[in-house]
Amino acid sequence: MKKRALIAGLTALVMAAGLAACSGGGGGGADANANAKCTNKIIHKDAPKVTAWAWYPNTQLVVDNFNKSHTDVQVCWNNVGQGGDEYDKFQTAVSAKKGAPDVVMLEADHLANYVIQGALVDISKYGANKVKKNFSAGAWKDVSVGDAVYAAPIDGGPMGLIYRKDIFAKYGITKPPATWDEYAADAQKVKDAGGPLFGDLGGNVPAVMMALQIQKGAHPFQYDPTKPKEVGVKLDDPASKQVLDYWAGLVKKGLVGTADQFTAEYISGVVGGKYATYVSAAWAPGYLTGAGVGKGNDKGQFAVAPLPQWDPSNPVSVNWGGSAFAVTTQAKDKKLAAEVALGLDADPASLENGWKNLVIFPLNQTVLKSKEIADYPLDFFGGQKAYGEVYIPAENGYKGFTYSPFQVYYYAQLQKQLTAINGGKIDGAGAAAAVQDAVVKYAKQQGFTVK
Amino acid sequence: MWFDKNVGYLANLQDLFTYDGSIYLHWIGNSALYAVAGGVGSTIVSILAGYGFAKFAFRGRNLMFSLLLGAVMVPLTALVIPTFILASDAGLTNTIWAVILPSLLNPFGVYLMRVYIGDAVPDELLDAARVDGAGELRTFLQVALPLMRPAIVTVLLLSMVATWNNYFLPLVMLSDKTLYPVTVGIGVWQGLASGNNGGGHSLWSLIVMGSLISVVPLVIAFLTLQRYWRGGLSIGSLK
Amino acid sequence: MPTSPAQRAANRRRTLTGWMFILPFTLVFLVFLVAPLLYAFYNSLFTKGLATGTVFAPLDNYIKAFTDPSFLGGVAFVVGFSLVLIPVQMIISLAIALVLDAVTTRFARFARLMIFLPYAIPAVIGAIMWGFLYSPTFGPLGQLFGLVGLKAPFLLDASHVFGGLMNIVTWQWAGYYMIIIYAALQGIDPTLYEAARIDGANARQIALRIKLPLVTNALLLILVFALIGTLQFFTEPSVLRTISNGGITQDFTPNLYAYFTAFSYAQFNYASALSFALGVVVFVCVYIFLFLTRKRGSFLS
Repeated sequence: MKKRALIAGLTALVMAAGLAACSGGGGGGADANANAKCTNKIIHKDAPKVTAWAWYPNTQLVVDNFNKSHTDVQVCWNNVGQGGDEYDKFQTAVSAKKGAPDVVMLEADHLANYVIQGALVDISKYGANKVKKNFSAGAWKDVSVGDAVYAAPIDGGPMGLIYRKDIFAKYGITKPPATWDEYAADAQKVKDAGGPLFGDLGGNVPAVMMALQIQKGAHPFQYDPTKPKEVGVKLDDPASKQVLDYWAGLVKKGLVGTADQFTAEYISGVVGGKYATYVSAAWAPGYLTGAGVGKGNDKGQFAVAPLPQWDPSNPVSVNWGGSAFAVTTQAKDKKLAAEVALGLDADPASLENGWKNLVIFPLNQTVLKSKEIADYPLDFFGGQKAYGEVYIPAENGYKGFTYSPFQVYYYAQLQKQLTAINGGKIDGAGAAAAVQDAVVKYAKQQGFTVK
Repeated sequence: MWFDKNVGYLANLQDLFTYDGSIYLHWIGNSALYAVAGGVGSTIVSILAGYGFAKFAFRGRNLMFSLLLGAVMVPLTALVIPTFILASDAGLTNTIWAVILPSLLNPFGVYLMRVYIGDAVPDELLDAARVDGAGELRTFLQVALPLMRPAIVTVLLLSMVATWNNYFLPLVMLSDKTLYPVTVGIGVWQGLASGNNGGGHSLWSLIVMGSLISVVPLVIAFLTLQRYWRGGLSIGSLK
Repeated sequence: MPTSPAQRAANRRRTLTGWMFILPFTLVFLVFLVAPLLYAFYNSLFTKGLATGTVFAPLDNYIKAFTDPSFLGGVAFVVGFSLVLIPVQMIISLAIALVLDAVTTRFARFARLMIFLPYAIPAVIGAIMWGFLYSPTFGPLGQLFGLVGLKAPFLLDASHVFGGLMNIVTWQWAGYYMIIIYAALQGIDPTLYEAARIDGANARQIALRIKLPLVTNALLLILVFALIGTLQFFTEPSVLRTISNGGITQDFTPNLYAYFTAFSYAQFNYASALSFALGVVVFVCVYIFLFLTRKRGSFLS
């Protein structure tokens, strides 16, 4: 009897233990990358693999170009999400000390956040400085801390004013607004004539608002990564408040929309002529095209002008997005990973595909200085030579921003306040004060000395 | 769909099954694996425990059962974050075990089994078998088990549904998209589509089609097994 | 009670066999419930910042949580949401169950299945589908309002999101609750109705005076599940957040807030404290509820 009871129990135990035992086999082996699943096809199957996350719409082609021309290493690429989605995954992997790819695409404004966590490798010792000459001093500064280099710059996001020629013509706007005052006046004019919305204050693109505030003279953060525990936070200075108030005013008067951008809803509005203008960066049209913009009745109706200014005698260029490839400290072979980070999307064919389709704005000076890009008529803009006319001058005038090591948190707070502005619940000054309070509180909790 | 009228359903379907190296079929397969492994595993665990609680007046039983009832009330999703940290320490994150093993925990299943076994399996029958010389295991397998069928089907179905529908746990545990269940996969597509980043491929029609198809297996399971679960669902409430 | 050595041996054997049967469950219980809970508690006693190391500060995270407007706002939302949602859900599922119990046509059988079906649809998929339906541009609501020349409300923006989510959750769960109540109704001895009818009771009286009291246990079970589920609200807001035009924030519900705290901001210690604090809130709410209904005994027996 006792023996049988034991057997009954043991059977139960075996069932449980069997399940638990199998779990041992799931962990990574000696070379975890050998079995990594890739979205792309590996061309040289014997070469070691380097895993990479990226979300450029043309990444497939970029990766194929790299793999075709490299027999010593192959890129194994996955798109785990654009922007925030990827950062959540990457942050989780950094916290878990497991699961990060070897090479990761990061926007310049997010680098500091990962550098302070020790998640990125200094690639200066793997030959990064050999490509330094290809980039402007500003672009190089964005990815480096002193002599250390934490990513290979790929693209930038000089901003301009994209507008609909058909809507401007219909409502008698003969020349795109050159100042923000003109922008508001034109918006009123279109509205009074029963026209569509003039623009959109998307809550989910806080980085655009930050850029517009900087254009007016705001300096949101002071941060020197060589003194990683000190940060200056100034999000409620007059310039920041005025820009928020300006947009809050447009929203209140019903001159601009309040929809989140990049959603199917918003895109259908852009296609359907619901918005006369779109304040955005050079890479944005590529994403719009991917979603079906500029292919139907709106074909060739878009054009781009320089971003409106506050003081036209003293124009300021600003930037939204733009990204770089970084090597993570979890990379198995850091040298190979650095070769990928420095070589991916750096070959002429990939870059050309990127800028011709407006999915990247190359920071590589040999491309930027070429006559070909300056004079290239872009289909999306109805043949306009947008690079030479707008984007390259804007990039040349861009002085660089300083970002905080908690940029994600700051954006979430700004997004919350933009939503409140869009809902008519708060004015610009109140919103700026609320963001300042929340971010300072957070910085202190994180142990920073807030200047 | 509403904004994609030109494309036929069949073309959409073909697109769904071939997009990104047939990743969707992978996801359906993963969901099935997790649901079957998690569902069967947690049902076995529940049957054994329910039988133990119902038919053996052993020392520590009441304490254990009160703990179990307390567990029914613990927010299981609140356990996901600490479970993630533990699984990560154990090197289990981003493996199928990170999804299957935690879904073995099903206190409600144990509760249902205990209540049902208490009513439907008479002690006299078990004693008679023991008197005839059957061991505990044989008594359990040959006498008690056949009497539990409606409860087993119910618990199995409920736990399979719970695993199939699970989103939070795999979302947190997995970062390799070839391991995603269909819920997380479609959620990721939705994120990519909202960011307009299908790489020139419109994901919305895939999302709609993929959502509809992912519902089919469970609907079929419920329809074919309804004779069993309809009775089983009243177990916990009639007592 | 005197026990002979033989009886004691029998007792020991029973204890051993009993434990053997519940052993797998005990293991799973310890590994996947007790350990994470203890670990969450342990983690929650430390604070960690980007610019500081990990510091032992047992109360800091809890003081922070219970003074954190994001957490408190989330708790207020889920509690308010439960107070409105659960009674509505309950009345709908009870009413349908009573109707379906009273009529036995083929249509009723079909209706029962159709109402139950949403339960078989994963919450993520359901939420995505509702996201489409709610779309002012693509959804039927927009077209419907467009017919009469009105602009459709967006049911996920800040001013409508309460109702928009309530509709989704009710759609998802009412059928399941309805089936549980229905099963309980089917288990009632029909001779009770005969007796009542002889006493002159009409259908409405039978439903309210006989059926309702006899299914209170089923109702109670549902209420507790609905309460626990709603307080942990996560999946629908998390899926719909990106298309809600800011109506759903990262701190919309406590679970969502804990998720973002852990996975976007890498604050696992504070997130553990938030999870634990949420667990306490759930426990307190359920206990208050059981106390108010004075039915603790019957549920826990």
